[in-house]
Amino acid sequence: MFCLSELEDTVRVPPDLLKLPLEVAIKKVLQKLFLDKVLSIGLCVSIYDIKSAEGGFVLPGDGAPTYKVVFIIVVFRPFVGEVIAARFKESDSNGLRLTLGFFEDIYVPAPLIPRPNRCEPDPCNRNQMRWVWIFEEQEYIIDDSYQINFRVENISYPPVPTERAEDGAIDDDGLGPVSWWEGCSERNNEDDDT
Amino acid sequence: MKNIIVKANAGTLTNFEVLDLLNSRGASNDTTTRVIAPVSTSEYKVYDYLMETPACTQTLEILTNFSDQCKDFKLAKAEILNIINIRPSFTVELAPILEEPIERGIDNKAIEGILKLVEALLPPLPTVEACGENEEEETEEGEQS
Repeated sequence: MFCLSELEDTVRVPPDLLKLPLEVAIKKVLQKLFLDKVLSIGLCVSIYDIKSAEGGFVLPGDGAPTYKVVFIIVVFRPFVGEVIAARFKESDSNGLRLTLGFFEDIYVPAPLIPRPNRCEPDPCNRNQMRWVWIFEEQEYIIDDSYQINFRVENISYPPVPTERAEDGAIDDDGLGPVSWWEGCSERNNEDDDT
Repeated sequence: MKNIIVKANAGTLTNFEVLDLLNSRGASNDTTTRVIAPVSTSEYKVYDYLMETPACTQTLEILTNFSDQCKDFKLAKAEILNIINIRPSFTVELAPILEEPIERGIDNKAIEGILKLVEALLPPLPTVEACGENEEEETEEGEQS
């Protein structure tokens, strides 16, 4: 889910931060620039380390020094095929939307919800639709009572690089709300015996 | 603003390693420490998410021990990472993690072996009630002190 990436950038340190040790000041500026932003390599979660900072030249007409910094950040970048535990956020007729707290653009499109299923207007929320999975004549509602395991199918970056959406699948064994599977191992063992 | 990405992937991290990093910076569940610690709000969102995953019960020794013993099963690195992050307890939870198990010769016996290893080496997620009790204990201590 997470990995480290090494970046190099020119960083301008505003004069009001110069009373702090250099490393702390540069880290503050980097955090403001990168934290919680989506880059082409993923969502930046944290500044891991500063490898080197050189320069410190003050350009004419500017009161702030500029450093060339090489640093390492922690990015959230899942790979296709990864299984992630998420929580239900909302659902509509197109599918579900799941959230991880720090990342909320996980969509499960309708074709990837286990079939047979049906979609009905949610009795609790007027604007939302509720998805129900029908298996062996038992109905399982997809809602926010338990965490949902999903597998990453596709990662897309929209043209304006502020959000990033992921498509997930929950129509395979072991995916979907965890409560569906918790009692299941006994059933599986019985099937093997017969 | 032009960024020059030197290395897009300088190493993969398990959930535990990210949690450990945030812990070492001073992140915690205690509300008073949250304001003082040098951890930003968005980093706290990641911390809160990770504290609900099996990563909150793992240590570095557990993970190195587990990945050493996984070598017998010839699993891909990504699959070991997935198993560490999700901690499957049932066959049905392990199934979406393994890619083409039959073609690779991973039969039911091997799957059971992997699950036994997970059960033995990776600590389970504390149940929600246990977590709730822990929070109550902390607040009680806070009031007493």
